[in-house]
Amino acid sequence: MSTEAIAPPRPGPPLRALLRPVVGPLVAIVIATLVGAALVAALGQNPIEVYSTLIEGGIVGWPNLSVALQMTTPLIFTGLAVAVSFHAGLWNIGAEGQMLVGALAAGIVGYAVPLPPVLHVPACLIAAAFGGLLWASVPALLRVYLNVNELVICLMMNPIALLATGFVATHALKAPGPTNKLPDILDSAVLPNFSLFSQLNAGIFIALACCVAVAIVNAMTVRGFEWRIMGLSPRFAYYGGVNVRRNAVAVMLISGAIAGLGGAEQVLGVYKAFYDNFSPGYGFDGIAVAMLANSNPIGVLFAAFLFGALSAGSGVLQMMTGVSKYLVQVLQFIIVLVLAAQFSFAWLFGRKPAKPSARVSVARSVEERTGTEKVG
Amino acid sequence: MTGAGPERVALCNIAKSFGELVAVDDASMSIRRGEVHALVGENGAGKTTLMNILYGLLSRTSGDILLDGTPVAFKGPAEAIRAGIGMVHQHFKLAPSFTVAENIILGSEPLSRLGQLDRLEADRRTRALSQRFGFDLDPEAIVGTLPIGLRQRVEILKALYREAEILILDEPTSVLTPQETRELFATMRSLAANGRSIVFITHKLKEVLAVSDRISVMRHGRIIATTGNSGVSAEQLARLMVGRPVLMRVVKTRAHPAGAAALKVENLTVIGDRGETAVADLSLAVRPGEIVGLAGVQGNGQDELVQCIAGLRRPLSGRIEICGTAVAGREPLDCRAAGLAYIPADRGRVGLSRASRVWENMTLGHQAEFARGPFLAARSARARSAELIRRFDVRGANVDTPAASLSGGNQQKVQLARELTRAAAIILAEQPSQGVDIGAIEAIHRILVEMRDAGRAVFVISADLDEIFALSDRILVIFRGRIVADLTAEETDFEEIGRFMGGIEGPSAGLGRATASSNLDAGDRVY
Repeated sequence: MSTEAIAPPRPGPPLRALLRPVVGPLVAIVIATLVGAALVAALGQNPIEVYSTLIEGGIVGWPNLSVALQMTTPLIFTGLAVAVSFHAGLWNIGAEGQMLVGALAAGIVGYAVPLPPVLHVPACLIAAAFGGLLWASVPALLRVYLNVNELVICLMMNPIALLATGFVATHALKAPGPTNKLPDILDSAVLPNFSLFSQLNAGIFIALACCVAVAIVNAMTVRGFEWRIMGLSPRFAYYGGVNVRRNAVAVMLISGAIAGLGGAEQVLGVYKAFYDNFSPGYGFDGIAVAMLANSNPIGVLFAAFLFGALSAGSGVLQMMTGVSKYLVQVLQFIIVLVLAAQFSFAWLFGRKPAKPSARVSVARSVEERTGTEKVG
Repeated sequence: MTGAGPERVALCNIAKSFGELVAVDDASMSIRRGEVHALVGENGAGKTTLMNILYGLLSRTSGDILLDGTPVAFKGPAEAIRAGIGMVHQHFKLAPSFTVAENIILGSEPLSRLGQLDRLEADRRTRALSQRFGFDLDPEAIVGTLPIGLRQRVEILKALYREAEILILDEPTSVLTPQETRELFATMRSLAANGRSIVFITHKLKEVLAVSDRISVMRHGRIIATTGNSGVSAEQLARLMVGRPVLMRVVKTRAHPAGAAALKVENLTVIGDRGETAVADLSLAVRPGEIVGLAGVQGNGQDELVQCIAGLRRPLSGRIEICGTAVAGREPLDCRAAGLAYIPADRGRVGLSRASRVWENMTLGHQAEFARGPFLAARSARARSAELIRRFDVRGANVDTPAASLSGGNQQKVQLARELTRAAAIILAEQPSQGVDIGAIEAIHRILVEMRDAGRAVFVISADLDEIFALSDRILVIFRGRIVADLTAEETDFEEIGRFMGGIEGPSAGLGRATASSNLDAGDRVY
């Protein structure tokens, strides 16, 4: 029966398929921009002027751009750390704490262990990665062996890390002087700086390398395949013989190690010592970065750069106009809210079983498209 | 069975689209006074959608509904109910903690003079109604404690309480034993004799022929034929439903079971999610070269048994051996390594990742074949999936199609393709044709029989007795967590199996369901 096409054949240009994952984040950015403009206008300022100042202050000219890249670097690490866990369906939102512990480890090895330059930086990096990994192992093991929600534990581990590293920096290993910090790291442990205008350093290449490595693991390895399935359907992965426990621990530890490396970049490249409470919340911004990037390691680069450039621009904004630099935070929060709304929409509609009637019609339109008739 | 009364409802050229998807496409049918009118069609043909439109649950895109000759447009079920249309859905919409009377009056409660709920009046009316239709329901019974068959009667009574003249029953028999089904049919006949009209949605053809006056066949959103009951065969109906001749039963030779049992379960006891003893001291064995069917009303321990065999649940005690390897309490990984292929009933959450592509769904569990060191040979995995799509005739898919966009039957074929291409000695197929089109059922059954003939052991768990009989060489019946019958398929019939399923016959007839509390880690294990 019925030979006329019901649904028009849609070959669908490949471009559209490529753009699809970018649509959600772009919508979030556009909405945030519009709401921000409305806010600025309500404050009696010209939104176009404010945005152009923000963009100019963020990325125009090498001095501004190098500051933006400096701000981007830690966000790549923390964003990637969170993205790795999201991709496998785990909620490591403890990147802040893992980064702090990693930074502390790098700070200690950096000043206390004299080594030749070739070995010193790697030693600090390894120490930092191990520190982050150690901090992530607590939620990971609790999750896997006692089925404790990792999200809650991660969240609680953050202030513990802040206070514990703070104790080390203010009491146990405090450098002489008024500042709450560890002694400066030795010159052999410093990550070389590229710019007179900012603290942009070689750490950004480590960040890029991490992103590429994760992208390769996700796309090309057996582990990456298993993590992807776990992230989309843990029950299916478990049923299909994936060792879900071991993989979950591995993902959490890798995630923590990446966050720890982010701490090393701050200590070895930016501050040249571990300072108490140095992070303005890079770990939390990393969650927003991972969401905006849709947990894609390459997307993390762009999302981190957006947030980094906004932060860099916000300083200029405050100087040049009367608008508070917190406008940028407002923009970031709106982006996160819109993304979260998209998540919950997807969650709501994803859970609803597809209407059987809809299913057959899909099958039918495909059948008609390919011109096959149902045969034995 | 005359059904020659005047026309009550006329559905004229009804169409309904969900976005670009057309669910009902120009469907017309009429419902007469005093008839049982069967609406048959494959899953997804649009039967339920069409009736939901009549019931006011869905709006229509175009077309007219005439009730006693007058055009009507219901904005919601409330209006349809007021006009005398009632619908009993496949999934009951009852409050389990309420009594029968409370459920029946819910939404149109009798009130006392002070505006309070008049419970005595509610009970009285329920009892009167129940007696009038010969339903034998206790108004004060808590619905949650009633067997499924009685709950269905509550649903029907609820519609009758609202003075439904036209009663739509959506797949009412899918949860019933053969005996309960027969009682339901008697009820339907007597309601029709009372001048009510019954629309009976189903895809079971034998039932259609047993109870209906007229039969409308729906395919691809259209009513393609309406016929009287006499002179029509199940084969003809199936042909109309599918659009081509259908083998109603796979052709198979005698089984030649050989060798030691591929699956052996000994004295298995399992605690269910609510702390009850779901499986009680159960033993069974499946040998290579035979298909063993496990029949039983849903909720008698089948799910827990299957989960234990698949490594998804930990039993309290007992042994499970797959090809001689003890696997009770082990992980799914170990069960698979021992030689298990498992086709779960819950395709959406267990057997497939709906958001993943077809090749990913076909490759899980086969990682070792495509591992090149730490890397996954995605290209060969995709090539193999493309080949499986051809071999298992998965329609409307390429390797990159997300599993969720396939129809139920094609999703099932993806599962089968993945599981049956593993070198597994025992195939555990749970509800293999649930939500699958008749045409695809035939293919799935044929594949399972081929697997048997190739010397594998096949264990089929199904709530559908037709399926059990179509496939099995040997039939086990589970009742309250125990195997109560072990029968050769050729030497038994629906009646006998039905009696065992209902606990009327067999060792544990009349035995209460044992309960035990345990804080054992017996729930869903994912991590």
